[in-house]
Amino acid sequence: MKLDFSRPGEKFRLHASKKSDMELMKLPFPREWSRDDFKLPENWKEIALKKFDEVLKKYRSVRLYMDLCVHCGACSDKCPFFLATNDPYNMPVGRQDLMRAVYRKYYTREGKLLGEKAGARDFDEEMVKLWYTYFYQCSECRRCAVFCPYGIDTAEITMAAREVLVAIGLSPRSTTESIAKCEYIGNHMGIPPAALADACRFMEEEIKEETGVEVKIPINKKGAEILFVPPSADFFGGPHWGTFKGYVKLFHQIGLDYTISTYASEGGNFGLFLNYEHMKKINAKIYKEAKRLGVKWILGGECGHMWRVIHDFMGTINGPADFLEEPVSPITGTKFKNAVYTKMVHICEFTADLIKHNKLKIDPSRNDQYVVTYHDSCNPTRAMGLIDEPRYILKSVCRNYVELDPSVNRERTICCTAGAGLLADETLELRLKAIKPKMEAIKRTGANFLAMICAIDKASFDTYVRHYKLPIKVGGVHELVGNAIVL
Amino acid sequence: MGVLEFTIGIFLAYISVIVLIVGSIYKFLTWIKVPVPLKVPLTPGPTTYTGVVARLATDAFLFRPLLKGAKKLWLGGWIFHVLLLTTIIAHIINILFHDLWSVIGYTWYDIIGYTGIIFAGALAFLIVRRIVMPNLRYISHLSDYLILLLLISIVLLGDYVRFYSGVDVKQVSAFIYSLIYLKPIEPPSNIYFLLHMFLVELLMIYIPFSKVMHFIGIFLNPVKNQRNDARMRRKVNPWDFPVEIMSWEEYYNKFKDELEMIERGG
Repeated sequence: MKLDFSRPGEKFRLHASKKSDMELMKLPFPREWSRDDFKLPENWKEIALKKFDEVLKKYRSVRLYMDLCVHCGACSDKCPFFLATNDPYNMPVGRQDLMRAVYRKYYTREGKLLGEKAGARDFDEEMVKLWYTYFYQCSECRRCAVFCPYGIDTAEITMAAREVLVAIGLSPRSTTESIAKCEYIGNHMGIPPAALADACRFMEEEIKEETGVEVKIPINKKGAEILFVPPSADFFGGPHWGTFKGYVKLFHQIGLDYTISTYASEGGNFGLFLNYEHMKKINAKIYKEAKRLGVKWILGGECGHMWRVIHDFMGTINGPADFLEEPVSPITGTKFKNAVYTKMVHICEFTADLIKHNKLKIDPSRNDQYVVTYHDSCNPTRAMGLIDEPRYILKSVCRNYVELDPSVNRERTICCTAGAGLLADETLELRLKAIKPKMEAIKRTGANFLAMICAIDKASFDTYVRHYKLPIKVGGVHELVGNAIVL
Repeated sequence: MGVLEFTIGIFLAYISVIVLIVGSIYKFLTWIKVPVPLKVPLTPGPTTYTGVVARLATDAFLFRPLLKGAKKLWLGGWIFHVLLLTTIIAHIINILFHDLWSVIGYTWYDIIGYTGIIFAGALAFLIVRRIVMPNLRYISHLSDYLILLLLISIVLLGDYVRFYSGVDVKQVSAFIYSLIYLKPIEPPSNIYFLLHMFLVELLMIYIPFSKVMHFIGIFLNPVKNQRNDARMRRKVNPWDFPVEIMSWEEYYNKFKDELEMIERGG
């Protein structure tokens, strides 16, 4: 294994947050700064060490991981960013050790006495630069945790490090720009209500032109049975548009009493990439809106990190949602026992249940022009375990389905490499290299449709297939459902 | 009784046991007093406790994650750990019940001796890969080498004691029983035996302050010991705090015209 000690990862350090966004979000130390000149506040070290101490007392995972690693190296070649750069700081253990070095320096006798020999390092400006660079070069995809004998989850360490960085005024534009829009307009894409309604009208017209059927997309409808929350990218066009069309056709065919909301028009949650506070803020709107509209339960669209928050955290950070009912499919009567507490169901769970009960009128031959393969998104796969439902749907709505190579499939999937704030122009070169093993596996299948259930995946793979010159269409699982549905 | 015999055989014997037990408990407490705020199970996250136990057992005892991506390390690491366990068990039987059992013609003393050779081989493999592989050389600290060197020294000395030193198990047995009954007698005054014992004591004292604590830590990792049931059951975060967000009213006032237009269905 080759290592490159010239810090090739530094080239891809994310651009700095804008002062205006920091002010809007009430982040500490709003100021003009850049990725090369942090303009740290004078007492930054004191603040950082205090926050670090707080984090160690708040998360058992992080506290445990400081002591647990035996440096066995099993994770070292499992991170796509390491494979792309050979940068030792991009080995999961190298990334974790950036935090462990500070821990050893300030919390262990060995580190205080032996210093660098014990892997301890002072928390100085150089170290802060490394933290900002490399903790924003982790997509929190948790692939390394699958291979770690103790399950040390770098995402936990990355999230904790970012809490510390935010406290001293460091955050990337790619994340804060979207959060500011989400918190003050309603969604990451910054789509105001009228534009969102326009998008829905376009969709209605497009479906009418295509099928001759009049469909209606209810917006902000009080008393609907179900609130449907997709990631806002689905309203926007691009490779997401077909997914949106799929949802609408599906809901129309089964006569679902649903509504989308402009206030809660974002299922995604860039707050997850910044800190606990903003993750909670962005997620809070969904229950608030469900309560205001008086729906029975909530259905969520195709999005990866959105489901990390909804599946793992929503019940804890914004529950309990006692004003909602335990979710039951109005079409099949199936009780979603897996979501009785949070009352929020994944669209793939919902659709797979419909197909299982034979409630959809579908003609899979309508997807015969496609050889379909499936990309497992990191969060639905490794956090939810939502691995077989999308495959069950795909095999029902199309007739040519192939699997990717096991080394990059299912729980071992290589993520889109654009999650956790890395979807930015300045990382494109890095991501194009990092995705190579996945692109090669995709190419080997001979597929011409790459299906996925994540908005960031769709945005990034659409770019990747063009750069790799692969004649492959990128789209959602529900795009193929929509194609097959006979209205 | 000589100074060496007393220090290693009696004084450090008690100290090391106390440090190991108290230190491990202390470390365990420093970990569990930190809350687990959120559900973070990793696929395959079982939804039942039985599933969690099965997962922890296969991960901890079969090193399943290593099988997924680092097969050579799995082999070396697993052999090392299994032999560590069998060696400890064999020591207990050999020393405490040596006159009770033997296995198909071999005494437990023989068994420790012969498996010790494989044990040392596995350790040598772990040392060599740290030196030879660039990624491991980069991530290895002084302590990573020292612990392996300490272990291999213990094993090699142990084998020397078995095959060349002529130390009698019965004598060791009487000595260990005397330690257990808190009426210590003089240890076998063989330098190799004493050195072997001394290094074991060092190891026991070092364990609570080292990465060796992973043998407890793995069971506390929320990624592995949680049920994948965050949408089914309430999980409370003890340090959760309220946040303020833009309310519907504020939002409505901000986009009044647009929202009224949507209400009219236009």
